[in-house]
Amino acid sequence: MSIINYASREIQFKIVYYGPALCGKTTNLGYIHQRINPENRGDLVSLATAADRTLFFDFLPLNAVVIKGFVTKFQLYTVPGQVIYDATRQLVLRSVDGVVFVADSQWEKMEENVESFKNLEDNLAKQNLSLDETPYVIQYNKRDLENIAPVNYLEYVLNNRKKRVQSFEVVSSTGQNVFASLNAVSQILLHKFSKQSDTPETAGPRVAVPMEAAGAR
Amino acid sequence: MNGIPFLTIQDVATLDGVLADFLTKSEAELTVVIDRGGNVISQFGDMTVMDVTIIAALAAGSFAATRELARRIGELEFNALYHQGNGNHIFMNSVDDGTIMITVFGKRTTVGLVRFYSSSTAQNVAVLLNGLSRGGHGFSFDASDITSTSLFADN
Repeated sequence: MSIINYASREIQFKIVYYGPALCGKTTNLGYIHQRINPENRGDLVSLATAADRTLFFDFLPLNAVVIKGFVTKFQLYTVPGQVIYDATRQLVLRSVDGVVFVADSQWEKMEENVESFKNLEDNLAKQNLSLDETPYVIQYNKRDLENIAPVNYLEYVLNNRKKRVQSFEVVSSTGQNVFASLNAVSQILLHKFSKQSDTPETAGPRVAVPMEAAGAR
Repeated sequence: MNGIPFLTIQDVATLDGVLADFLTKSEAELTVVIDRGGNVISQFGDMTVMDVTIIAALAAGSFAATRELARRIGELEFNALYHQGNGNHIFMNSVDDGTIMITVFGKRTTVGLVRFYSSSTAQNVAVLLNGLSRGGHGFSFDASDITSTSLFADN
């Protein structure tokens, strides 16, 4: 849950990259860390095994825009994708404000994608949250590979809820649409946040949410 | 995100007073109050020695992981954790169900002293945090405050 600090004039948000094992969550954070202005980020912390598989989480703190004198701070986390680490995923999801679901576009990964998406819903439910009330976007990653499912199939499988969300064709290793999806979920999150103020002048949507953001479907 | 807690300038001043008193008595270097999701609520002491944001994220993870360990031996959680280094150490204790207090200290003091004073400090912090304002945070912005350009730029 976000916290507003009127003394340090900061607002903190937590975004979690979720998805099956080896889908590219850590690669997303690595690219963002590499390409974002160093003044706006902290260190990338990875708690990984010797084989570079995420054991606990990866963590990257970012500073974004200043809104009315308040610095918006985003903390990016990844979860370990391997099935056995479900308890860890629940811990990392605690106090989550937004989610980027990273799907692996390869045909043979489709079952794992669906399983991971269901696992996300289950773990949110354990915190009395639902995807309907959690800002999220979907990445279809690894679009540069040959054996990949078409986007309309992925949309049918993973983005077929009552309310469809923004999705992105991503190549996280080259950075294609990595920032577009981060910006999209951040905008949606801020949009929701702005609506939560109960002051009369803030009723209704007050933040621009570019639904046709670069790369958005 | 319903019921977003917010710290007013007065809240932070009061919290700083409690934490400053704790650091004086315990002779620790730094103390950070975080929520269990890893967000920093308040901090006091020498901030130049480390990145507090990362310490908070890792400490929340560590505390959560050991909570699972505690359950395996029939405990709800471990109320306190101590990581001993060669020169610098970390002591973490539970403030309430949603909050943890982290204290970093060196050779000037002992874990016993830190543990002793952190207990009453945690109680005071818990009382203060329970009284925090929630809900309508009164902070608002609109489309003109946040441009349609990217929040984060790919350089």
